[in-house]
Amino acid sequence: MKSLRSLLRRAIVPSLAVVTALLLGAVVIILTDFENLSRIGTDPLGAIGAAVGGVFNGYGAMLTGAFGDPERIRLAFENPSDRTIATAIRPITETLVAATPLIFVGLAVAISFRTGMFNIGGDGQLIVGALGATIVGVGLQTSGLPSLVILVIAIAASVVFGGLWGFIPGFLKARTGAHEVITTIMLNYIGAQVVLFALLGPALRAPGSSQPISKNMSAWVDVPSIISLPAIRLDYGFVAAMVMAAAVSLLLFRTTKGYELRAAGFNMTAARYAGMSAGGSMMLGMTLSGGLAGMGGGFLVIGATGQLTNDLSGGIGFNAIALALLAGLRPSGVVAAGLLFGALTTGGKVMGIQSGIPFDLLFFIMAMVIMFVAAPGLIRSIWRVRVPKPAPEVASVAPTAPAEPV
Amino acid sequence: MSAAVASPLPHGEGLAARRALRDARIRGATFLALGVASFYFASSSFQTPAIFGFRIYTTGRETFEVATSVGLLWMIAGLAAALVGALQLWRGATFRWRPWLLVLLAPYVTVILGALLNGTTANLTRVLSGSFELATPLTLGALAGILSERSGMFNIALEGKMLIGACVSVVVGSVVLGATGNMFAATVAGVSAAMIAGGLLGLLLAWLGIRHRVDQIIAGTVINIGAVGITNFLFLRVLGSSPELNTPPNVSAMQLPFLSEIPVLGPLLFSLRPYVYLSIILVLVLTYLIYRTRWGLRLRASGEKPAAAGTVGINVLQIRYRALLFAGLICGLAGSYLPLATAGSFQMQMTAGKGFIALAAMIFGAWHPIGAFAAALVFGFADSAQALLSILGAQVPPQLLNSVPYVVTIVVVAGVVGRVRGPASAGQPYEQG
Amino acid sequence: MRLELREITKRFPGVLANDRISISVDKGQVLGLLGENGAGKTTLMNILSGLYKPDSGEILVDDQPRVFSDPHAAIAAGVGMVHQHFMLVPVFDVVEAVALGAETVRGPLHTFDRAAARRRIVELSERYKLNVNPDLKIETLPVGVRQRVEILKALYRQSDILVLDEPSAVLTPSETEELFGIIRSLAASGTTVIFITHKLNEVIEVADKIVVLRRGRVAGTADPKTATRQELANLMVGRDVELIVPKGPAKPGDVVLNIKDLVVRDDRLELAVKSVDLDVRAGEILAIAGVQGNGQTELVEAITGLRTIDSGEITIGGRHVEKATPRQVSDLGVAHIPEDRGRDGLIAFMSVAENYILDTYHRQPYSRRGVFDLKAVDERATQGVRDFDIRTPSIRTLVTALSGGNQQKVVVAREFSVPVQLVIAAQPTRGLDVGSIEYIHRRIVEQRDAGAAIVIVSTELDEVLAVGDRIAVMFDGRIVGILSGDDATLENLGLLMGGAKFGEGTAA
Repeated sequence: MKSLRSLLRRAIVPSLAVVTALLLGAVVIILTDFENLSRIGTDPLGAIGAAVGGVFNGYGAMLTGAFGDPERIRLAFENPSDRTIATAIRPITETLVAATPLIFVGLAVAISFRTGMFNIGGDGQLIVGALGATIVGVGLQTSGLPSLVILVIAIAASVVFGGLWGFIPGFLKARTGAHEVITTIMLNYIGAQVVLFALLGPALRAPGSSQPISKNMSAWVDVPSIISLPAIRLDYGFVAAMVMAAAVSLLLFRTTKGYELRAAGFNMTAARYAGMSAGGSMMLGMTLSGGLAGMGGGFLVIGATGQLTNDLSGGIGFNAIALALLAGLRPSGVVAAGLLFGALTTGGKVMGIQSGIPFDLLFFIMAMVIMFVAAPGLIRSIWRVRVPKPAPEVASVAPTAPAEPV
Repeated sequence: MSAAVASPLPHGEGLAARRALRDARIRGATFLALGVASFYFASSSFQTPAIFGFRIYTTGRETFEVATSVGLLWMIAGLAAALVGALQLWRGATFRWRPWLLVLLAPYVTVILGALLNGTTANLTRVLSGSFELATPLTLGALAGILSERSGMFNIALEGKMLIGACVSVVVGSVVLGATGNMFAATVAGVSAAMIAGGLLGLLLAWLGIRHRVDQIIAGTVINIGAVGITNFLFLRVLGSSPELNTPPNVSAMQLPFLSEIPVLGPLLFSLRPYVYLSIILVLVLTYLIYRTRWGLRLRASGEKPAAAGTVGINVLQIRYRALLFAGLICGLAGSYLPLATAGSFQMQMTAGKGFIALAAMIFGAWHPIGAFAAALVFGFADSAQALLSILGAQVPPQLLNSVPYVVTIVVVAGVVGRVRGPASAGQPYEQG
Repeated sequence: MRLELREITKRFPGVLANDRISISVDKGQVLGLLGENGAGKTTLMNILSGLYKPDSGEILVDDQPRVFSDPHAAIAAGVGMVHQHFMLVPVFDVVEAVALGAETVRGPLHTFDRAAARRRIVELSERYKLNVNPDLKIETLPVGVRQRVEILKALYRQSDILVLDEPSAVLTPSETEELFGIIRSLAASGTTVIFITHKLNEVIEVADKIVVLRRGRVAGTADPKTATRQELANLMVGRDVELIVPKGPAKPGDVVLNIKDLVVRDDRLELAVKSVDLDVRAGEILAIAGVQGNGQTELVEAITGLRTIDSGEITIGGRHVEKATPRQVSDLGVAHIPEDRGRDGLIAFMSVAENYILDTYHRQPYSRRGVFDLKAVDERATQGVRDFDIRTPSIRTLVTALSGGNQQKVVVAREFSVPVQLVIAAQPTRGLDVGSIEYIHRRIVEQRDAGAAIVIVSTELDEVLAVGDRIAVMFDGRIVGILSGDDATLENLGLLMGGAKFGEGTAA
């Protein structure tokens, strides 16, 4: 009971943050609904009503897009066939598909923030990891190896590539003090250029295409599906994400390495006085972080998309920051927040198609989520609720990092 | 690895004196090696001509050409590098080599340009005046960063504020242009609106950091992500369907009276956009304000040791709020440059990391306006030369050239070209009783 | 000017920091405000400087009630502060640092009139014989000079009431004498001085009137001409204080720590430890006395593996540790109580249990092959909390929520939770109340009697005299003398700390 209550207490700020951010998003939708608002002079009630209706349309589409259309689910029950069932469950499986890379990168962000490193480079690490997987995947096309073997090598490559992309800022910070925020952002841009360069070269590019798109690898390597129904993309990448969440949790809270990472994250000097290598922790934390993000990229490119494009990440790195903060940097929270953001992403795309409200609104909503989670005082004053006060200095080292039992 | 080597902490630098001497020797040897390598390159390239053209007048097509050979340029560069290397070895750890590095930059940039052009004639007037133009948003952004950090607030939100500034300037400028048809009024309106938007975001950043004690990096990230979201959204939902909102006024180059008629220098320096002159004036004015006035003294005190300012009755928080407001205004101005002066319309994520490069210029310039301006010019030149090279079809992958500013930024913040010290208390919240 | 505080009360959540404090001091008088840590001195001082507003009570300047709503108002009323931690911008020069906040300006842009400020500073410096070069950067000045710059700052603002907070903490005895001279001449020229300290000798020496604070209240007043140290100490603590730590004679055994010709540099690469030789034996306490910044910090860091040495030898229990890492040193059975526990010894936002294993977490029984045994951690931490009487709601409580004394007990409990052959304790009781000080001293003596070699670095002569079996004095990176605990007196230690060479007193 007590743990349930403390869970609820901890969930107040994140939940209200998401709700408030969605409401702000609604305000933005209404304010930009010029078509309806232009009638405000002649028919004020109608204009506002229509604009608000637009919000309901949009968010409604988001909801059904993320979790499923009741009508289709009913049809599936009445007339169960592969096709109807697939149609009914597709939204929810797509939500899980979208959640998978978010969970990977969210874990990556959580682990780096816990180490006291602001890893803003999730995007770069993800796409460079995906590049590693693609190089292996395309390279082993004619090797004749079984799909599963290629998959394992490709994922390993994605971890190595992503890990390297994370190691660089960790190393630079440990050795020279270069601020990781700037170096990781720069590595995002460099990573994008590297991938573009690789994709425009003859080795990876899809035959006959002038666009930066790699060959489609699904014919010879794929992540096995969990449910084999037509058009259902959910694969074992999602399971891998769950396993990694458990692994990160164990690492952080049950092992001495994790303890060292967290200690260094809170207080570098004290960690050093206690005989730990603070620089080593920075490098390890960032490498693990990059490796996780890279693994997310690997599963994404081998599984869900089957090919590498230069816009693969679609802002996952930035959303992952919001998500990790929302999760209080807890792996279990990252899974929950990842599912929520997966739903928002999937639903947001449907919203974009059905109601013409651009998907990019979600970035704004995510930013607002970060703001409200980082400034619980705002939530307190908007909703007039008592929220637990965060310890003051925590915010400057590892945001909202709580005391965990060892 | 031993903690003493790995640690960036001040307590870890026991052998630093010896290490500094060792570093000095390595640096000296590197400069010498660079010189030797340059002579080697020179030996094989005396036959390759290097021709640089300069326009003589702003009107007309006459050019004045400097023709030499790539090999000779390598010789000059190599001699300079060898000289610096010798000086470094002779003077040891106390040698102030940073300024010399800038001196070296000039011959090397010239020779690399010449080598890449491989005999093609290049019009340098365009490249050099383009450097000033491309440096302008970076300079302005760096000035905003300097104001913030000198007051004790991190400001990684430059990017987001510039992006919002760009968007707002376009919308307001287009509306006013559509309504009045007056280019000047539309420009003024667009730029002012961008500055106001930037200023408001600056206040938001300060409010989150000061009032709500949000970590200043997270607060900056909020603005950066939010700016991408809201401007992309507006572009797709509104600007896409209403092109009349995305046809802003155009700020074109201004021929300064008399000065622009000076041969060679006129087209190079005195027929640029008003933005350039404005940014140079701002650099000078801010230098004076920061280092010579009461306001500057107090600003620097709140960034270095806010408690020292607070205990003598200075309102540190007010100083920080104001600094971020001004920084926001300048950021908005920087943002408006992109669509009004170069692109001609708003594009999604058109800042493309310029805010972060501005931050790097600030660090490279040691938090000093003039230093930051010099750094911005270097970045601007890299950008400008890249455009020239791709037009002239040099055999360099464009992705490599595109990456140059980002790589240089990493090199700069990693202190590979010398560590500089920023305001001691930047990023730390200050509790005012 | 005459200053009077009437019934000043200031409450913080859970603490009554100032409880109806009434104090008065006349023009030209020196008031010694005595109290131990936590007695409410700092709160009172912050009220006087306008940083805190009192919940009730009034401040009268020349019998006129004044409200100090912010530091400006306090400065305008003529109150000048010299803070314990100097409030000077390190990168400013003296002129800028002094004028900050009270700048003379000219022109439309409010250009700082540096020349005018400089003239005034030179004049003040000469008038009060402060001997400050106005053009040097603060960060290059020795602490004694920085303090004079702080006094200049107050004079520059024409303060008639000067409040000095623990001004001697960072000074050598001779610098302290110099400071007292300045205070006397300021008082003679009509400045009112409030001198806040916890050092009994100093108030007796310099004050015209002594007020003792205890637990937020005025515990009593005394006349420095007649008061004795013991009386003042009793007033300050509220009971008889043992200025002497109860301990038997040392029974020195084998040499545990041996240092030969050690040279260490500080962060700015200056020589901080210049050829130190030292032997510490099992079963004895060597106290290292000295004013802060004479190489003690670097010496401790060199011994514990935190700082690379330039040259020389260090052995612990016969093992060479010149190149050892902090972990290797700690694994030899070396307990290190760091100088700044908040920064170096604890992780504020981790729990008591997690802090309890901060440097032993990698050993059994806490972990095996890198995986924690959480039950063992909890059991041992609970045990440590009980053994050391650490007042905490639970072992899950964040360390930052504990009082300073209890935080230090966490550090000591952890360091003594494994068998040790050498204890390095740097300023082990700084900022603690008397009860905690006694407790920590007792625990350290216990370790000595159990056969450990102990090094205590302290700037407090009282502590050094109380616990040291032998006392080494460090000055300018050298050990300038080693005395036996019986021979040492405040006077001869004071002389050594100021750099006087001591006859044959070399390493024992």
